[in-house]
Amino acid sequence: MSAAPVRAAAATATRGLRPVRKIRKLVHDQRGLPIPHVDIVVRDTHLSRLGEHYHNTLADDLLYMTYEHESGPRPPPRRIRLMYDPENPYVKLRHNPPVGGSQVGRKPAPLTTSENVVRLERIQLHTMAKDAIVSRQNLLGPIMALRALSGETEYGGGRRGSTGVQIVRGIKSVGGWVRPGIPLGAKVDLLGSKMYDFLGTLTEFVLPRLREFPGIALPPASANPQTPAGVSGVVSFGLPPEAFGFFPQIEVNLDAYPKAYGMHIHFITNARGVGAQERARQLLSGFQIPFARK
Amino acid sequence: MSTSSLRTSWRSRPVLFRRGLATEAAAAAPSPEGKPPPRPIVRTAVILNRSPILTRTPTSLERAYYAYQARVQRALHNPFPRELYFKPGSLLESKFNLEERRRDRKAFGPGFGADHPLAPGAGVTAQDLKKFGRDVDETPAPRVHASDESGDVKSLDRKGQRNLYLLVRQKTDEGFVWRFPETAVAGKELLHESVARGLRESCGEAMDTWIVTRKPIGLYEIHPPAPIQPGDPAAPPKHTSWPVKQGQGNLSQTVAWLTKKEIAKRVNPEYWDGVKDMLSDF
Repeated sequence: MSAAPVRAAAATATRGLRPVRKIRKLVHDQRGLPIPHVDIVVRDTHLSRLGEHYHNTLADDLLYMTYEHESGPRPPPRRIRLMYDPENPYVKLRHNPPVGGSQVGRKPAPLTTSENVVRLERIQLHTMAKDAIVSRQNLLGPIMALRALSGETEYGGGRRGSTGVQIVRGIKSVGGWVRPGIPLGAKVDLLGSKMYDFLGTLTEFVLPRLREFPGIALPPASANPQTPAGVSGVVSFGLPPEAFGFFPQIEVNLDAYPKAYGMHIHFITNARGVGAQERARQLLSGFQIPFARK
Repeated sequence: MSTSSLRTSWRSRPVLFRRGLATEAAAAAPSPEGKPPPRPIVRTAVILNRSPILTRTPTSLERAYYAYQARVQRALHNPFPRELYFKPGSLLESKFNLEERRRDRKAFGPGFGADHPLAPGAGVTAQDLKKFGRDVDETPAPRVHASDESGDVKSLDRKGQRNLYLLVRQKTDEGFVWRFPETAVAGKELLHESVARGLRESCGEAMDTWIVTRKPIGLYEIHPPAPIQPGDPAAPPKHTSWPVKQGQGNLSQTVAWLTKKEIAKRVNPEYWDGVKDMLSDF
């Protein structure tokens, strides 16, 4: 027996013994409370009713409804020539759009599979306060309203992605009215179970109590479906200020708000390509959002 | 399960749109020499589905997880803006304080948060609130229906948390077997029209249903050993998904609303192998 195997065996034996882990002491804050070593993140606190409804019922139905039966592989996409040869160094930095205009609205939808069935990704609430131009204090009401509606705060529950209620600022100058950078409104993004909770509130407390509300207006049949909005899978509509008091979160202390605020609601789905908005509407009608043609 | 909750559930189903899941058409049977292959006999069947009408009961692991996350959230949430929501000294504020104290005691044990002796509204007791009248008793409806206890498989209200499918007992060469309601495609009928006619014939006009897709969602193929005769029941049925909307219809034959697991026990093993992947696991 040579020396090398003996040394190797000894090394293995030593490696087998795990070193004793040092227990790091918890750092305490100025009030004497311990700060944990790990970031604490609040996840879902309850089973989402509409989320379950989506997974158990809607996802199956939407797969059957949106599946396109195609035999064989898809033909390769048409190669659209650019206006200038991209290899040509003389026009390298020139704006070089495809011939025949933008192809955004003509992009075909991806094949429906069980992985990419249309689903709701987030809901964005957005409200504009015109009187915030005069005084920024007028923005406090919409901010409080959106906080009450969404329950979201910045980094709420330790989630890095949670942005809370954000201020919307003017982008460009409109004569005598808007200047770039002035606060104009507020918006908030809802994701996950909070998104489904809001959707349930909207369809069960708010929309049924609206007067003479036939449903979200569908575009006329002659409308062009190949617009950027039509292929991006977003459905938007506006709620009038009269609907503000119908939200239970607002109803309990309606007197605390200076006035009623209307808002825009954007339902953002994962649908893309031609007919994406129609697929998004199919999904939303499964959540009892009514649609009506004028 | 009461009728009102049933109606609520079915209103939540989407309206009919277009397109659906399809499979390849039935392959032709192997042809004898010199003759064109016989055309396959196409039969359609409907998978009539009652989707869940109750939110599912979370598992014990999920309940423990949610309870833990709720405690973490309760410990870390931003201070509640009392002055925005309640007028100081109002009945509503006292009621909230009392409920909050109960919730904090349940989450963290006695003496913490709203249950602390120095917390706002610590002096309010349940006796104080009783002076202002009693709350309305809001006991939720039971999650178990009478048909679950009696084992009545004909009831549409049974197994509220699960997907139910309609099976009928049909007479075939092998005797009585349980199957999805099926019928032969007549003439130049389209598949979904044949499905509608078959459902009307077997269950009557009163059943209120809507079609999810016009295309077949699956194919159950049988290669009969002997040359098939026209009208032979042993031909492949195609399935179209079609959930029921309301009303049980005129179910004169022997029918059953069954979950996927219960279907496996009733149907033939080869039939089960052909249709099991068309059904929802939950």
